[in-house]
Amino acid sequence: MTNPSSHHDPRAHAPNVSQTGDPHTHAVHLPQPTAWPFLMALGITLACASLVTSAALGYLGGVLALVSAIGWFRQVLPHEAHEDIVVTEQPVAIEPSQGTVARIEVDETHRAQLPLETFPISAGIKGGIAGGIAMVIPAEIYGLIRYHSIWYVVNLLGGAGVGTWTNPTVEQMRHFHLVAFITANIIQGVTTLLVGVLYGAMLPIWPRRPILLGGIIAPVLWTGLLHSVLGIVNPFLAENIDWWSFAASQVFFGVVAGYTVTRLGHLKRLAQAPLSVRLGLETPGLHPTHEGDERKQ
Amino acid sequence: MATVPLQHAKSDAEWRQPSRGVVAMASLITAESAIFTIFVTAYLYNLGRDVSGPTPKQVLEVPWFYSVCLLSSSGFIVLAEHAIEHARMGAFRLWWAVTILLGLIFLYGTGAEWHKLIVHDHLTISTNLFGTTYYSLVGLHASHVVVGLLMMLVVLAFALTRHVRPEHAYRIKVLALYWHFVDAVWVVVFTVVYLVGRS
Amino acid sequence: MDAQGMPAARGIQAGIDRTPAQTASGTWLEHVHGWIITVDHKRLGIMYIVLGLVFLLVGGLEAMLIRIQLAVPHNTFVSPYTYNRLFTMHGTTMVFLVGMPLIFGFGNYLVPLMIGARDMAFPRLNAFSFWVAAFGGILLYYSFIGGNGLAGTGTAPDVAWFAYAPLTEKAFSPGHTVDYWAVSIFVSGIGSIGTAINILATVFCMRCKGMTLMRLPLLAWLYATVSFLVLVAVSPLTAAQAMLVIDRYLGGHFFDTQAGGSAILWAHFFWIFGHPEVYVLVLPAFAFANEIIPVFSRKAIFGYEAMVAASVGIGFISLGVWAHHMFTIGMTSFGNAFFTLSTMLVSIPTGIKTFNWLATIWGGKVRFETPMLFSIAFLFQWVLAGLTGIMLSVSAWNWQLHNSYFVVAHFHYVLVGAIVFMIFAAIYYWYPKMTGRMLDETLGKWHFWLMVLGFHMTFDVMHFPGLLGMPRQIYTYEPDRGWNTLNFIVSVGGFIQAIAILILVYNMVHSYFRGREAGPDPWDAWTLEWATPSPPPPYNFPVEPEVSSRRPLWDLKHPEDPDSAFE
Repeated sequence: MTNPSSHHDPRAHAPNVSQTGDPHTHAVHLPQPTAWPFLMALGITLACASLVTSAALGYLGGVLALVSAIGWFRQVLPHEAHEDIVVTEQPVAIEPSQGTVARIEVDETHRAQLPLETFPISAGIKGGIAGGIAMVIPAEIYGLIRYHSIWYVVNLLGGAGVGTWTNPTVEQMRHFHLVAFITANIIQGVTTLLVGVLYGAMLPIWPRRPILLGGIIAPVLWTGLLHSVLGIVNPFLAENIDWWSFAASQVFFGVVAGYTVTRLGHLKRLAQAPLSVRLGLETPGLHPTHEGDERKQ
Repeated sequence: MATVPLQHAKSDAEWRQPSRGVVAMASLITAESAIFTIFVTAYLYNLGRDVSGPTPKQVLEVPWFYSVCLLSSSGFIVLAEHAIEHARMGAFRLWWAVTILLGLIFLYGTGAEWHKLIVHDHLTISTNLFGTTYYSLVGLHASHVVVGLLMMLVVLAFALTRHVRPEHAYRIKVLALYWHFVDAVWVVVFTVVYLVGRS
Repeated sequence: MDAQGMPAARGIQAGIDRTPAQTASGTWLEHVHGWIITVDHKRLGIMYIVLGLVFLLVGGLEAMLIRIQLAVPHNTFVSPYTYNRLFTMHGTTMVFLVGMPLIFGFGNYLVPLMIGARDMAFPRLNAFSFWVAAFGGILLYYSFIGGNGLAGTGTAPDVAWFAYAPLTEKAFSPGHTVDYWAVSIFVSGIGSIGTAINILATVFCMRCKGMTLMRLPLLAWLYATVSFLVLVAVSPLTAAQAMLVIDRYLGGHFFDTQAGGSAILWAHFFWIFGHPEVYVLVLPAFAFANEIIPVFSRKAIFGYEAMVAASVGIGFISLGVWAHHMFTIGMTSFGNAFFTLSTMLVSIPTGIKTFNWLATIWGGKVRFETPMLFSIAFLFQWVLAGLTGIMLSVSAWNWQLHNSYFVVAHFHYVLVGAIVFMIFAAIYYWYPKMTGRMLDETLGKWHFWLMVLGFHMTFDVMHFPGLLGMPRQIYTYEPDRGWNTLNFIVSVGGFIQAIAILILVYNMVHSYFRGREAGPDPWDAWTLEWATPSPPPPYNFPVEPEVSSRRPLWDLKHPEDPDSAFE
């Protein structure tokens, strides 16, 4: 911490300057002060205020606005009115007065980052999409065996409790329903994408066994979470859901997603680079040959 | 004491920035578009919600001729811009005057339509919801036409007295931008009021 | 670091202003005349700020009257009619006559200086915009004395700051109360749009040589975003107010439900303005934080490009969230889902910004002076305000708590905890530049700690009566609701904040005459405004500066190690 008194004194960090030439004088153009904008504003306000006061103010405001419009016009056309201010300027050269810039010293091995390889987040997203498509299969098998219809699970996800379609019967749910179909696709697409992102973000934490992570930990977490909150979020879905087949399709999702991720390959970790480089810290502060330094004073 | 950084070794590249007139007009057009969006939304939202007549289908006629006049004026103002850029002042004054004339014809068209609606169909701004939304939307556009015409008439007056010179081409361009906007809005208003609204 | 071999060894040329200082002369009246006819962005900026601060005191006084009324149950400190006027005028004043002038004031003052320009792009339009905003404010307050109102309280607006239809229609609001509201805000709106156009043109067309868009100070970027938002958000309000005036004066039926018009349409139009308006106010607070936090952490801002992207992103997302103010009005479940999700989306760019500020502080050599203290409090309070914002964005939760004191607490957390705190930080930071004198640091610390104490007493506690069911805009309440103690604490906290703000006012007046000389660069900062004397001369820069990095004054002070070597 610097001494507080030192940075109150502007001279403490003013650089040394030395004159490098004779002062020279030139004129600066500045727009001329004018009252027309003020009067125009007053005129417009009075004109509007006539709505709540009296018509006479409106006429006054109108005349004022018109006159100032003309006055303003003559200020800028044909030539902008300006006044010249003569300024004197002294060219100088600056020499540094402060000490050298302090930087954070980073020991290049101060924090080992293991393992050396991980999976890119994009792999998680791709895995999520693949898993999202794959998990339809066990869900549909369940729907076909139990209700003899491929639309049942679609309607359960997309229609029931969402939108205007409330408390349908099983018979209704066995038939195609366009709005439910679209909604189910949106829900399924967005959710698998988000879970994919989450999965990709979690991969660096447990990068060793993506299939295990995807196939066991994620479905357990997700099914458990849903099991506890679905009764509040969507009671109809909670009533009609078959938790075992739901969990099975989650596991299927996780295994496929994990498999996709392993197929997409590894990414080298920046374990050797210091923390600030891996964080992508502000480039101006980093000297190319001294990566990991950081601007400090 | 105060210091200002002056020059660094490598600063010879040309320094170009957009012109403030164009940026300001683009900003103004953005704001105006937002205002028109609100009025158009109100018009579309309230279509067919009237509890009493007359309805758009009963009283509105499509103003093809006047619309063509207004939209073609955009072409003539381009010709005028082109003329002043190449210092052909005679051509500029001609095309500029034609643009104004077409704008005036359009304004006459709006006036005639309103006259017919008020006198013949007894539709005023307070008659029903259609009257309220119609007069305010079309009136808002007409007021923009009036403002544009006033500014263009001022330019015409200075052009006829030889005060407008080729070095003013840039200001003319900015004003023309506004006129193009007024025309473009009419495409929207026309579609909404006369095509969608009457169907 | 060793300076040898550094590309900056070429040295840096600079110019010093040796112009003899102009001594003020002339009578008092001539001075006033000079301020009226000025087109100088710095003078206009100061007038904007003074206007905002004056109305802050007025709006604050109204808040205090409201808190006295609500401190105990069954209170009759003011009449119900006066109470309606008080909360309407408090909201309207704080948003339109305090928030907008203060942010435009700082923008006017700082944007040209920071980008190395001598003035705004349109100096006369700038003067016009200021005066029209000021006259709009005066017209609004003239309503207290203009005409006869109910119960001797004038015709001040009494329909709440969002002025929902059909209460505002002629049938339910006879007299001129609503007209004053519509007309004066309409007039001020003209000024806002004018200034927004001006700032956009200034940022994009008046930059000094070398100030590329990626070298702009973040404050200039944020003000450009704010100006764009003003253009697309204030204009709809202007349009809606025009419709309201048509309804009231010409017998139109826009919001007349008897004739088929729609009151919901007004709610949509108002919140299309109203929600982006929150971002219009909060983005400048971010802008101040972007300038203050790096300087007091002695580090360059972390993730400049991400900050720019996040700011512009917030601007665009904020245009698609308005109906989260209207969940209880009733929408389709698709509407509910859309506005819930789009509202939650805002937390991504704001999260980016928060983490970037933390990363800027991280590892820095932090100087805990008053501007930085306010900035740190801002960071903390902004995150909390964002969290209650996410709670309220969930439509099901919102149905339960809409228009309760929970909502009031939430948006005051944003407006006071984030915006007002950062405006205070900005005042402490730039007051030396504007006046040439430092604000007193001891009084500043008193101001800060009282403000923090009062703020948290008021607005943390205010969430709970909301959760317990206390509705917004309520005149008084029964003693058996369990709100008594909470409301009393809220009121006491409000008065502590009022004391804190009076300390600031005293500090500003006192330091203007007695404060320590500031010098051009009291904070050892890096942006161009600190290259000028304090206060800057009318022409700002004797020669137009030329920059080659984001921190031109860093380059100037450290020729051996300039930022420009890394770009």
